[in-house]
Amino acid sequence: MADCRGIQTQQLNIGYDTDLIRKICIEVKPGQIVTLIGPNGCGKTTLLKTLTGELKARGGCVYLDGKDFSSMKEREAARHMSMVMTVRVNPDLMTCREVVELGRYPYTGRAGILSGRDHELVREAMAWTNVEELAETFFQNISDGQRQRVMLARAICQEPEVLILDEPTSYLDIRHKLDLLEKIQRLATEKQIAVLMSLHELEIAMRISDYAAALGEGRVLRTGPVREVFEEAFIRDLYQIKDMDTTLLGSACWFENKEADGAENGTQEDVKEDAEVWKAEQTASPGKARVIMIQGTMSSAGKSVIAAGLCRIFAQDGYRTAPFKSQNMALNSCVTKEGLEMGRAQVMQAECAKTEPVAAMNPILLKPVTDQGSQVIVMGRVRGNMSAADYYSRRKEYVPCILDAFRQLSESNDVVVVEGAGSPVELNLKKDDIVNMGLAGMIDAPVLLVGDIDKGGVFAQLIGTLDLLEKEERSRVKGVIVNKFRGDQKLFESGVRILEEKGRTKVVGVVPYMDVKLDDEDSLSERFLVRRGPVQEPEAKQTAGDSVQIGVIRLPHISNFTDFNPFEQLRCVTVRYVRSLPELDNPDIIILPGSKNTIRDLRWLKETGLAAAIEEKAAKGTILIGICGGFQMLGNRIEDPEGVECGGSEEGLGLLRVNTVLGGEKKRSVFDGSIVHATGVLSHLAGRSVQGYEIHMGSTYPDGEVYEFTSGQTGYCRDNIYGSYVHGLFDRAEIMTSLMEAACSAQNKEADIKGAVDYAAFKEQQYDILAQTLRQSLDMDYLYSIMGLVKHDT
Amino acid sequence: MNTKRYAAVFSLAAVFIALLLWINLSFGSAEISVPELFRILSGGGDEMNRNIIWNIRLPRAVSAVWLGGGLALSGYLLQTFFGNPIVGPFVLGISSGAKLMVALTMIWFLSAGRNLSQAVMVLAAFAGALISMGFVLLISLKVKKMSVLVVCGIMIGYICSAITDFVVTFADDSNIVNLHNWSMGSLSGMNWDQVRAVCVITVTGLVLTVLMIKPVSAYRLGEAYARSAGVNIMLLRVMLILVSSLLAACVTAFAGPISFVGIAVPHLARTAVNSNAPRVMIPACFLGGAAVTLLCDFAARTVFAPTEVSISSVTAVLLVPVVIFMMIKPKHRDM
Repeated sequence: MADCRGIQTQQLNIGYDTDLIRKICIEVKPGQIVTLIGPNGCGKTTLLKTLTGELKARGGCVYLDGKDFSSMKEREAARHMSMVMTVRVNPDLMTCREVVELGRYPYTGRAGILSGRDHELVREAMAWTNVEELAETFFQNISDGQRQRVMLARAICQEPEVLILDEPTSYLDIRHKLDLLEKIQRLATEKQIAVLMSLHELEIAMRISDYAAALGEGRVLRTGPVREVFEEAFIRDLYQIKDMDTTLLGSACWFENKEADGAENGTQEDVKEDAEVWKAEQTASPGKARVIMIQGTMSSAGKSVIAAGLCRIFAQDGYRTAPFKSQNMALNSCVTKEGLEMGRAQVMQAECAKTEPVAAMNPILLKPVTDQGSQVIVMGRVRGNMSAADYYSRRKEYVPCILDAFRQLSESNDVVVVEGAGSPVELNLKKDDIVNMGLAGMIDAPVLLVGDIDKGGVFAQLIGTLDLLEKEERSRVKGVIVNKFRGDQKLFESGVRILEEKGRTKVVGVVPYMDVKLDDEDSLSERFLVRRGPVQEPEAKQTAGDSVQIGVIRLPHISNFTDFNPFEQLRCVTVRYVRSLPELDNPDIIILPGSKNTIRDLRWLKETGLAAAIEEKAAKGTILIGICGGFQMLGNRIEDPEGVECGGSEEGLGLLRVNTVLGGEKKRSVFDGSIVHATGVLSHLAGRSVQGYEIHMGSTYPDGEVYEFTSGQTGYCRDNIYGSYVHGLFDRAEIMTSLMEAACSAQNKEADIKGAVDYAAFKEQQYDILAQTLRQSLDMDYLYSIMGLVKHDT
Repeated sequence: MNTKRYAAVFSLAAVFIALLLWINLSFGSAEISVPELFRILSGGGDEMNRNIIWNIRLPRAVSAVWLGGGLALSGYLLQTFFGNPIVGPFVLGISSGAKLMVALTMIWFLSAGRNLSQAVMVLAAFAGALISMGFVLLISLKVKKMSVLVVCGIMIGYICSAITDFVVTFADDSNIVNLHNWSMGSLSGMNWDQVRAVCVITVTGLVLTVLMIKPVSAYRLGEAYARSAGVNIMLLRVMLILVSSLLAACVTAFAGPISFVGIAVPHLARTAVNSNAPRVMIPACFLGGAAVTLLCDFAARTVFAPTEVSISSVTAVLLVPVVIFMMIKPKHRDM
């Protein structure tokens, strides 16, 4: 840590005989004033007593100026920290000077005789707190206000770096309060002392403190800049004065919404500044990012989309945001800049969050290889294949890795949007859960539960899931979201009421069925089921002219099938997934996608007769593109000497004169090259630059007359047959457009292919649409509040 | 400044003690004039008078000084520890515990036909004092409230007294006489060997107390603040209990239980020096205890002469009014 001065707690548990508050993480730096607030009995004093050593910590750690407090000797600790507690001291016949002199105790010798400097410091401290004239007066004879000042003088001349104050203003009249608070403020600013205090008077707390921590319900409910903590709804909730009239108290003890929203110019700047400081804070202190977790009632409920949208919203609102999913079961993976592999969905969410995707966002990636087993990828590196049973029994071992990854994100971001997986109440698999409620507990995340109304049974989904949760887990769920609602939302108003009543929860929003095109695992899977494009909207299609038919062969082990998403922005393109010979029909372009098991899929291709049909079409000049595994299939032969897939070798389609040898190190890299040669209809593309990524195990070598298609021997071509290892080949508008043009001119079609943009720009548009939709349908203020954030902009 | 006051108080105490020493040595069944006294002390003088002074009055007076001082110190330490002005070795059952142990040991030794040596007496008293204090400490681990602790100490004192009474009821007559004489509390019959032992123990206690001046002064603001100032609270607590028990046990073993000196003298000393700072209070208590014990012993010896009354009765009669008077007196004024 760069700056470990001051006091900080890590996962501190406090209490007398049982834990009163758990997992306290608070930090006070030199010059800061941090205030503890919360109702009577919430544990403020207990916390302060634990920090001063009066009580033993029940778990976790306290660091005083970077050193473990529990290992410090009393004398050493006393040189770093002093305190003014509420305990009434009534020393008999003790003059105020004697009281203050005790502050020098840790600095004097065995006999406790004060040196000249000690006397000087005592005098200074007493002068500073205006109690000089009381020096020879007995402590028992002075007023409460004077006592507090004397005790403060005592604390000051102890020359602490950390000052702990428990209710320093109680018993004091206004003048003495003012006086004392002004002193405390000056201590922080002038002497750069880290001040941690508890206060009952909220009006004071919100004015004097830099940061505040609200305690209640056995935990730290909220920490942050005062403006974020002193929010009316939250404070009312904290002190359980929800519907009470507070006019008797005078000025409100929270920041008016108007103010927080920045209606006045000056205030807005203040807010921004506060937020800035808080952010700067977060980089230095670990694990302080705000967290929200999205869980679904089932797979494909729309978790990833909601999480993606939230990522974009937080990014738009100026927070450094990162997505996180502890374990992803996905066919689609992607390569980070470091050459590490991670789930496509988190890459997409990272794009939404406007941040660079890193493997920590998806520490564990499972890629199904066979029906029973998956390739296990941990922090972007392949750890080998594992059967499902094996993985489940061993998944606990991955907890440290997951928490590490999370911490990494939490340290460098303001917000982490966590996505669960599947349903949180798969009761037979719940033990040692590391993806849903188990994870939520570990990282202390508030949870939103997403139900899919499109599939039906949304009440049963949501309320059933809530009811199956354990009590503690249930309390983590701060609300539910009804997703994929089609039609007029007004019709569902009664539904919302019923959900809120029966589910005893808040419906955070009803999200409409969105037609956004995302590289999202769930929606991708859906593509196989729902025929997209003009098939659904025949009328729209007619007016737009002819359509380009793309047939994507739906291999049984299809993988990384995001390559075709760019086509979706064009209304004139129909992408069909072909799983059998009759479905092939007569496409303009055939695409053989990547596969997790090339040899098996190749056999499947032959068995279904698709292989022969493809060869026939290719011979007729239909554009045929093989990507990655598909590229390998186009060749003469695929050998698997190391048994990476199933061993042996397999004859390819023989359409490109190349041979592939599987095995060796898995290649994961970002591709930045160009098209070297292009034959057939794409000939004019030669020399164009291409960006994308490669993920494959094995290399392909020319075996006869072929042209290098993509540079670096990553792809070859002949006539209208193109093969390449590069994913994302069509992301550039220019390449895609010319492919479409070529397809049209070959078939004499007149499709409207104008207006295509680079896929990157297209995706940005889509993300913004998604964010916009979510903003409209979700109660964002509530969402911010459960995360402990205050929304700044409107 | 208060230094003047301290100087005045300490000189006054010294004068008092000198005066009381003179009275104690000179007056009694045989009166000895001042010149004779000096002659005796310098090695000459009348044979019989020399015997009275050297073998009876001087050891008695010297032990009164040490025991009284130790008792007052013990009281001061306990009052500091409990933060309560009403506690003293007698109140907290230290003396009663010591008395019980001494009674048990005495009866056991005498019935076995053996003589009880002073060393065994001291050990028994010390053990008894520590046992009853140990109980108080055990309770203090559970109960944090000092007032409850004080009550517990008083209860333990009562139990010890009750058991002692019980034991006495069933003891032989001769034992009862012995025990009764001892438990009345008296400085009579002190010999030089005993004085030497008293000296060693009390000086040890005094030195340890002086070493604790620093933490004790921090302890005046209560445990929490003392800890925050860097005091090792556990060590201090244990030391306070051990030293005060040692001092009180020593007195009980040699002179029997002497009440009220432990409570009253710290009060008197506090009023005299108008401070509670240990560096003044420790010498003040010691001197005060010595003076008061000398005075009370003299009274016990002479008021109903030739009958000697128990020193405890005298201390009670003389000191209770003083304590009450001091407590109802208006608040201390500032220096």
